[in-house]
Amino acid sequence: MEQQRISTKRRSLMLGAAAAGAAALTHPLSVLAQSSEDIVIGGSIPMTGVFAFAGVGINAGIQDYVKIINEGGGIKGRKVKYVPEDTGYKVDVSVAAFKKITSQNKVNVYYGDSTGFAKTINPELDRNGSILMAGASFASELNDPKKYPHQFLVGPDYTEMFSILLKHIAKEKPGAKVAFVYSDSEFGRDPIEKSEAEAKKLGLSVPVKIMTPAGSVDVSGEVIKLRRAAPDYTIFHGYILAPIPEFITQGKQQGMTSKWMGTFWTMDSSTVMKMGPDGDGFMGVMPFRYYYDTEKAPMLEKIRAMRPEYQSTAYIQGFLAAMLFLESARRCLDAGKLLTGANLKAALNTLKDFDTGGLIGVPITISGNSIPVGRVYRADMKAQKMVAASDWIKL
Amino acid sequence: MRIGTLKETYIADAALFDSRTQKAWLVVAAALLVLFPFMASDYWLYLACLVSIHVASATGLNILTGYTGLVSLGQAAFMGLGAYTVAILQAKLGTPFLLNLLAGGFVAMLGGIVVGVPSLRVKGLYLAIATIAASFIAHFLFANLKFTGGTGGLSVPPASLFGLQLDTSFRLYWLIVPVTVLMLLGAANLFRTRIGRAFIAIRDRDISAEVLGIPLLRYKLLSFGLSSFYAGVAGGLWAYFFRVVTPESFPLQMSIFFLAAIIVGGMGSILGGILGAVFMTMVPELLKLAVDLLPGGSDLTVFLSPVRLVIFGALIISFLVFEPLGLAEMWRRVRRFFHLWPMRN
Repeated sequence: MEQQRISTKRRSLMLGAAAAGAAALTHPLSVLAQSSEDIVIGGSIPMTGVFAFAGVGINAGIQDYVKIINEGGGIKGRKVKYVPEDTGYKVDVSVAAFKKITSQNKVNVYYGDSTGFAKTINPELDRNGSILMAGASFASELNDPKKYPHQFLVGPDYTEMFSILLKHIAKEKPGAKVAFVYSDSEFGRDPIEKSEAEAKKLGLSVPVKIMTPAGSVDVSGEVIKLRRAAPDYTIFHGYILAPIPEFITQGKQQGMTSKWMGTFWTMDSSTVMKMGPDGDGFMGVMPFRYYYDTEKAPMLEKIRAMRPEYQSTAYIQGFLAAMLFLESARRCLDAGKLLTGANLKAALNTLKDFDTGGLIGVPITISGNSIPVGRVYRADMKAQKMVAASDWIKL
Repeated sequence: MRIGTLKETYIADAALFDSRTQKAWLVVAAALLVLFPFMASDYWLYLACLVSIHVASATGLNILTGYTGLVSLGQAAFMGLGAYTVAILQAKLGTPFLLNLLAGGFVAMLGGIVVGVPSLRVKGLYLAIATIAASFIAHFLFANLKFTGGTGGLSVPPASLFGLQLDTSFRLYWLIVPVTVLMLLGAANLFRTRIGRAFIAIRDRDISAEVLGIPLLRYKLLSFGLSSFYAGVAGGLWAYFFRVVTPESFPLQMSIFFLAAIIVGGMGSILGGILGAVFMTMVPELLKLAVDLLPGGSDLTVFLSPVRLVIFGALIISFLVFEPLGLAEMWRRVRRFFHLWPMRN
C-alpha cells in the first residue's frame, strides 16, 4: 500500500515536472507575465570572458538609464524592461541569448556584444522586423544602412575614429608622418586601408604600417621597424592594452619622439592609467565625456549622483545606447507608430542636434548608422585623468 | 557485459541495436525528434540545432581520438575548411546544399589527410601539437586569401529546398538533425566493419596492429580523413546555421571544446560523443536557466555569471574524477540497472 502511494506520488511529481518542462519549452512563463505595454530592451552582454571588463560597465549603464526613465514614469506611460544575458563574448552563446530573450519577451530594442554577433544576427533582424539593435561594435562594415538597416553604432565607426585623429594631427602638425600599428584581426585591420587614403587626402604621410599578432607580447622587432620610420604620431588599433605599453616603453628607450594614440577600446581611463609613467601624454579618440569631466553635463551629474565611484567609458556607451533606444521609441510613440525595427530606425534618424545631456559634448545628428563625432583626449598621469586635447570634431 | 542478452548467431551479436527494448526506445526517441520542432520555442530549436552540429563534429573527433587513439586539436580548423567551402559554393555558385555539404566534407577530408601525415611518426601530445599547426595555417589562409573574404569573412546565403529558404531554426532543424543522425549511424556502423576494427586495433597497440596486417599509414590517414570529413560536414552545417563565416569563427578553443566533449562523454563510444557534446553545450545554458529562477534580476546575473562558469568547470572535473570513462559509462550503468529491473535482487 505504502509502495503504491509512493509510486503514485512519484508519478504525479514526474507528470508535474513534465508539464512544467513542456510549458517552459513552448510558452515561457515570462511572456505571459510581461505587460503588453512594456518596452523591452534585450541584451547579449559579455559579463564573463575576455570582454567582461566592458560588459559589466555596459550592463550597469543600460540598467541605470532604464531606472531613470522608469522612475520618471516610463516612455509615454509605458515602463521599460531590461533583460540581459551573459554571453562570455562568444557568438553562438550571444545568438542563444538573443533567441532566449526574444522567445520569452516581446523585444523592441537589443544590445549586441560583438561584430561577429551583429553580422550573424542581421538576417534574423531583417526577417523579424520588430527589433532595432546597437552594440559594442564600432566596425566600419556595420556603418551601412542598406546592408544593416536595423542596426546602428553608438559612436563613430573605427574608420571615423581614425579620421578624427588624423584631422586633429593635420591641424596640429600639417604634413606629419603617421604610423599605424594594428592587430592581425578583423578588429585591427578594419580601418587601415581607408585611413591610409584619408591620411594622404589630409596631406599626411603613412611611412609604416605594422601588423602584430593579436595578443603579442614581444614586439622588439616591430619597435625597431617603427623607430626606423621615425613617425611623428603612432596610432594603435585593434588592442585593448597589450602590447601598447611595450611599444611606448621600448620606443622611448630608443629615443623615439612620436606621439602615441589609440582608439575607443584602449581609451578608458583605467586602461590608459595602467600604462604607467611612460603612458603620460598618450592620446586617443573618445566619442563620450569621461565620468569625471568637469564641463557642464547634466546627465553626467545624474550618473555621478547614482554612482559615486568612477564609471568606465563602456558604462557611458551602454547608458547612451539605452538613451538612443528609448528616444527612438518615444519619437515612434509620439508619431503614433508601432515599435517596429524600421520605425524605430527611422525615428533614430530624425535625431538632429539632439542633446545627450552632455555625454557627448556637442548636439548629435544621426543620419546613417553611426554618430561621427569625437574628441581627442590626453593622459595626465600626475592627475591620473584623461584631459581634453582638442575640441569636439564632427565629420 | 550485460546478463540476460543471449545471442545465438554472430549477426545478432554484431547487431547495432540488440534488444527489443532498445529498439522501442529508439522509436520513441525518433518520434520525439520529429515532434520536437512543433513543440519547442525558437530558443530550444536553436539549441537543438547547435547541439546537433556539435554532436556531428564530436563524433568525427571520436573516430580519430576515441577509436584510433590519435589526439587531434585541429577539429575546428577542419570545420572551418568545410564551412568556407560551403560558404563559397553557396555564395558564388549557388549549388545545391547537399552537394555543398559533401564538398565541404571532402575538402576538409583532404586537409585532414595532409595534417595526418605526421601521425605515422608522432603520437600522443606530440601529434596534438602538430595538429595545432592546422589551426594556425587555416586561420592564416582564411584571413589572407581573397576568395575567403579576408578578416571580414563571407556571408552565406540560406540553403534552399524547392524554393523554400532554410533560414529559420525550425527549417534548418530538418536539415541539421537528419544529417547528424545519418552521420551517427554511419559512425556506429563503421565499427562493425574491418576498417573500424582496424582503427581500434591501432588504438590498442599500433605495432601489434601492423603485425596483424593492418597498414598503419593507410588506416591512420583514413581515420584522419573520416574524422575531418565529419568536421567538414559539421562546419558546412555551421555555415548554413550562422550564415556568416569569418577566420575567427573557428578558434583553437573550439577544438579543445570538442576534445573536452569526447573526454567527458566517453572516448571510443558513439554514445559518449553524443552525451559529451550535449553536456558541453547544454550545461552552461541550463545553469543560466537555473540562475534565472532565482530572484534578483540583472544584478544577480552580473554576480552569478562567473560563479556559473566555476560550477561548469567543477562539474567537468567531477566527471573526470568520479567517472573517468565518461557519461557513456554512467548511461551503461543505468541501463544495466534497469535491464532486469525490478528483478534485480
